Amino acid sequence: MSEAIKFLEPRKNVMSRRRAIIEDLADLLPPECLVHEPRELVPFETDAFVAYRRLPLAVALPKTTEQVAAVMKYCHRYGVPVVPRGAGTSLSGGAIPQEDAVVLGLSKMSRILDVDPANRTATVQAGVTNLSISDAVSPEGFFYAPDPSSQLACTIGGNIGMNSGGAHCLKYGVTTNNLLGVKMVLVDGTVIDLGGKHLDAAGYDLLGLVCGSEGQLGIVTEATVRLIAKPEGARPVLFGFDTSEQAGACVADVIGSGIIPVAIEFMDKPAIEICEAFAHAGYPLDVGALLIIEVEGSEAEMDAMLKSIVEIANRHDVKTVRESQSATEAALIWKGRKSAFGATGRIADYICMDGTVPLGKLSYVLEKTSEIVERFGLRVANVFHAGDGNMHPLILFNANDPEDAARAEEAGNEILKLCVDVGGCLTGEHGVGIEKRDLMRHQYSDTDLNQQMAVRAAFDADWLLNPSKVFPIEGRPAA
Amino acid sequence: MTLIPNTETDAAYVIRNAAAQGTTLAVCGGDTRSGFGNAVAFEDVLSSRGLSGIVDYDPAEMVMTVKTGTPVTEVEAALAANRQMMAFEPMDHRGIMGTTGEPTIGGVFAANASGPRRFVAGAARDSLLGIRFVNGRGEIIRAGGRVMKNVTGLDLVKLLAGSHGTLGFLTEVTFRVLPVPETAETIVISNLDDAAAARAMAVSMALSVEVSGAAHLPQTVRSRFLGGQLPEGEATVLRLEGLKASVAVRSEKLTSEMSRFGPVSRLGPDDSRRLWQEVRDVTPYAGMPKKPLWRVSIAPSAGHQLVAALRLEAGIDAFYDWQGGLVWMQMEADPEAELLRRYVRGLGGGHATLVRAPERLRLATPAFEPQGDAVAALSARIKLKLDPAGIFSPGKMAGV
Amino acid sequence: MQTNFTAEQLADPHVAESEKILRRCVHCGFCTATCPTYVTLGNELDSPRGRIYLIKDMLENGRPADAEVVTHIDRCLSCLACVTTCPSGVDYMHLVDHARVHIEKTYKRPLMDRLIRQLLATILPYPKRFRAALLLAKVGRPFAPLLKGFPALKPVAAMLDLAPKGRIKAYDPNHVHPRPPEAKRRGRVAILSGCAQPVLDPGINEAAIRLLTRLGVEVVLPEGEGCCGALVHHMGKEDPALDFARRNVNVWTREIENGGIDAIIITASGCGTTIKDYGHMLRLDPAYADKAARVSALAKDITEYLVTLELPTAEAKGLTVAYHSACSMQHGQKITMAPKTLLKNAGFAVRDPAEGHLCCGSAGTYNIMQPEISAQLKVRKVKNIEATRPDVIATGNIGCMTQIGTGTSIPIVHTVELLDWAYGGPKPENVA
Ligand SMILES: Cc1cc2nc3c(=O)[nH]c(=O)nc-3n(C[C@H](O)[C@H](O)[C@H](O)COP(=O)(O)OP(=O)(O)OC[C@H]3O[C@@H](n4cnc5c(N)ncnc54)[C@H](O)[C@@H]3O)c2cc1C
Ligand code: SF4
Ligand code: SF4
Repeated sequence: MSEAIKFLEPRKNVMSRRRAIIEDLADLLPPECLVHEPRELVPFETDAFVAYRRLPLAVALPKTTEQVAAVMKYCHRYGVPVVPRGAGTSLSGGAIPQEDAVVLGLSKMSRILDVDPANRTATVQAGVTNLSISDAVSPEGFFYAPDPSSQLACTIGGNIGMNSGGAHCLKYGVTTNNLLGVKMVLVDGTVIDLGGKHLDAAGYDLLGLVCGSEGQLGIVTEATVRLIAKPEGARPVLFGFDTSEQAGACVADVIGSGIIPVAIEFMDKPAIEICEAFAHAGYPLDVGALLIIEVEGSEAEMDAMLKSIVEIANRHDVKTVRESQSATEAALIWKGRKSAFGATGRIADYICMDGTVPLGKLSYVLEKTSEIVERFGLRVANVFHAGDGNMHPLILFNANDPEDAARAEEAGNEILKLCVDVGGCLTGEHGVGIEKRDLMRHQYSDTDLNQQMAVRAAFDADWLLNPSKVFPIEGRPAA
Repeated sequence: MTLIPNTETDAAYVIRNAAAQGTTLAVCGGDTRSGFGNAVAFEDVLSSRGLSGIVDYDPAEMVMTVKTGTPVTEVEAALAANRQMMAFEPMDHRGIMGTTGEPTIGGVFAANASGPRRFVAGAARDSLLGIRFVNGRGEIIRAGGRVMKNVTGLDLVKLLAGSHGTLGFLTEVTFRVLPVPETAETIVISNLDDAAAARAMAVSMALSVEVSGAAHLPQTVRSRFLGGQLPEGEATVLRLEGLKASVAVRSEKLTSEMSRFGPVSRLGPDDSRRLWQEVRDVTPYAGMPKKPLWRVSIAPSAGHQLVAALRLEAGIDAFYDWQGGLVWMQMEADPEAELLRRYVRGLGGGHATLVRAPERLRLATPAFEPQGDAVAALSARIKLKLDPAGIFSPGKMAGV
Repeated sequence: MQTNFTAEQLADPHVAESEKILRRCVHCGFCTATCPTYVTLGNELDSPRGRIYLIKDMLENGRPADAEVVTHIDRCLSCLACVTTCPSGVDYMHLVDHARVHIEKTYKRPLMDRLIRQLLATILPYPKRFRAALLLAKVGRPFAPLLKGFPALKPVAAMLDLAPKGRIKAYDPNHVHPRPPEAKRRGRVAILSGCAQPVLDPGINEAAIRLLTRLGVEVVLPEGEGCCGALVHHMGKEDPALDFARRNVNVWTREIENGGIDAIIITASGCGTTIKDYGHMLRLDPAYADKAARVSALAKDITEYLVTLELPTAEAKGLTVAYHSACSMQHGQKITMAPKTLLKNAGFAVRDPAEGHLCCGSAGTYNIMQPEISAQLKVRKVKNIEATRPDVIATGNIGCMTQIGTGTSIPIVHTVELLDWAYGGPKPENVA
């Protein structure tokens, strides 16, 4: 386990009252909603960012907003930190607990509450998975647009926490652009409603602030999201290039030409091989880089768009162009892409970077990334949302070798700093979490960060909500 | 006194001074939306006019960075030269507000001013990628950035968008732009009453034709659009945009689906453009400064119910944008704020903003929808965190 | 994922294997979404990722199993949906097998639990005992509600509930008489009789044999085979499980070496999964490793074998069939298309119920040991099946037939019974 990033020191007054706190929580929750046996706490010690682990004090798995409120009220009163958790698929360690914290898991709140086709909205509990929203509204001809690759498992609460994106966000926007309202429990247990089936805020855009706040402003228990009518048709097309540079330049030109496909995904050679081995999607194996470009609409529309894209690709010496021939094939192409990270586990441990860069800098950053990773004696696979410049270098390493792990972490930090230096940012969709917390000062000045922390304090003055995350610990204003 | 700093540093200096002395400031750009919000007193005006110019525009990246005092026309001209646009169609408030200044880009974002495409393409806040502003302490703050995807830290960008100058003085905005669609056309369905129109619009939005504008113009306003050229009766209008080949196919499909609701006619690209600009700028209610004007955001299927209910109790005139979810409502005399807001709550919630009213009524009516206690308290705390001395138009927005 | 084992621990081949499996897990959490127990209980401890972590912690620390770990491992259905979902190829099946053996070796279960397990292990694998027990169960059924009042006795009540309500046919091991092939000889296969299935529904193998014979396949019923061992294997009773496996390997090896067989046909996918794993189960037994591997390679589900025969297209029956893919079929053996292709080809309108990846809650003895979770899964499964408005439900596993059959009035049959009917056999009794 890595130790480079520090968590907050456990609060002594909390640790010493551990037994009492558990007993009190037991009064607030049904027995199956509280986990406290030390051995049962172990599986909650991390999320999908496994490099860091901390055993929580207890895990509460409430079934209702009222129970969430009761737990919050209690924890607020006794100064017990709380770490919200959805499906625990965060890649930045957003859901990793700390020793003095109660993990508040929303996994038992997984009901779809309302599907409203006339208003194109769905209201769901926070523990509902991203994909099951689309599944539930599909019979009505709709879908929920943001589609993180983890959509099978990740929850809408977690998506709101991280303002998650996905392949199809190029056209439809990320979570914050598709979120209409939330029911939320504030740190002191007060329940508030923000937004609803209508658009825009009555006053300050608190919903916009909550989205992407990584569980630091409150616990979301319900969400109302915008639905979109399913397109008439959709066609993912594979474009194979000899080099990553060509593929990167092609992306910039497609977007620059005014064409906005629904998705432009990028894979380099290692990534293609990994994904093909798992999904058998028919990705070309004789190319150096691959773009999956999806167009949608009527046949005529797709044809017209594709024609222009193919022309641009030709200018970049595209080697192969393959259209999916059937719905099954299209599904496989996406399955391969969406399983990319998991499938990488077949060959090595990895950490996944998430910097975003201006499109014009894609090729340059790809090249530099390879250089950096090589310098550390490691390997890298790139698979990411190219259309919006959101890069995901997967740095491959051996987790059982502490030195290898430390090198991977260092290489990752260099890559992220590079992203910031070329005009991008540290994280496009995975959130700061614990992983990028100490790099925040590379992107923001102290004043910038202080302002963010001040606004955070308007919600949680005592730093009880997910307190080890997002903001560097050194230099935090006193509570 | 009107303060017109020419640099961000100057602005910070001015604000630091104001904070030190407790001088209240009203932030303004082109002064075209100054009548917004609660009528509150202030000592000085802080204008963004001195901060003008496009800082950076890379059409290939579809991102533009502009100083906030830059006129919207300048921004639009630069974009048009590259066949690009602001997807959220910022509305021009001069008509309804009876103002004459030059709208600035800062004002657009500070008011989160969005037009007909908002319900599918997002509001101004959704296009806004990054900002620079001076907070009430006189500190220069940068938030967001210039890339489309960015979840690095708390999203102060969204918070500042639509804060009407009460949280900080925006000095620079970076936003996403989109290509101008190759063509546009509008399907007009005639003679639908409000309820039938709501149904028709809902059906159109469930079709895979990508309607990018859905408005219903009842009889009372219909003739005030396109110089009276729309067909007789009520007009329910649906816009399609995109590649020519694609619009043709979608228009076919939409027309055939809508024919079961009523007679369908079509508007070509030029009329279409003009019509939606008029919808955007609420042309029918322009030039009537005495009549209170409400902007109500509500669930699309509830818009017409709200109007129907109010009609029984007050003299109102209304038309609908955003599939029925945006109701522009002009009152004969009294704003009937309480009545209106009670109905909005009864219909599942939303918010009613009093956009225009004579001075006397403005003083008596909260312009923004009052919030529940907890949310109001939160908002007040946030205001304090950005503007501890309370110098930016205190009281302008619902108690903050 | 990082692991923490000493070289000494890794010297044990079972631990070494588990370590390898654990190393592959990247903790992405995808598998939680398709796990029936997580979907039902909403607690990560009852999810694959949670169980993997519990097992990892237990093995790394070389600890005996404890009540908590046992609770969550016991709740696992072994449906293997997680294996289908996992992009990283984590072999959860063999990990949980190892964990179960570890539990059996190091953990003393409460008395009642032990007794019930022993009871099941002594009765179910033996057809005669099982039939006798079912007859007794009929007498005992009125007491089921009473028993439910005692937590420890819930499994007994569940057992009584599950016993068939109708007549229990006499068990006659020679009930099905293989005949020489009727058409031009196309192959020779052995068919597994097994243990519980011939008692609960002898008609399944009868249909399979009729169909195969008609198609020109010689079917043999080698003397001496029996329960595949799955039942005790899933209880972590390693020695008896391996004994069952060895016995069957012996029997089939004899047959392979004498008459030669093209396949070992299995009509219960639960058994199929286990027999296909004999090669792995006996890999450390030098006397058996090769033979077992050969047996596993020959093991075929009946539908898997039938698709190779290229059956003619039959005319439409006007009957809608909801096809329920047993977990052991779709996840255990990865057979997804064959049964549906065969049914469609045979003239049935085939429907895929929603949430097809979720277990019906049968899972061997699971509906007896974990009646509450099992019942919830059953309700969910039946709801999804009924939503397709089928005339009949088809599936390839006797356990699912019993489980789903107690939750719906729609007739449920084995896929092969429909196929037999479509190609000239009798109409299944319960199909209207
Ligand atoms: C293989 C893989 C692929 C991925 N692909 C993508 C991708 O394409 N795009 C993308 O954006 N992300 C991706 N992710 C990252 C991750 O899935 C997202 O961040 C997701 O939104 C997390 O959801 P979750 O339910 O797992 O939340 P968790 O990981 O449990 O929590 C995430 C954060 O949200 C907070 N939180 C959770 N629930 C609530 C709540 N109800 N109220 C308040 N705060 C809450 C937590 O405290 C934490 O800070 C991927 C992850 C994996 C493992
Ligand atoms: S085998 Fe089934 S029940 Fe067990 S962990 Fe895997 S998915 Fe869950
Ligand atoms: S899906 Fe596979 S890799 Fe991911 S957590 Fe589950 S077992 Fe581990």
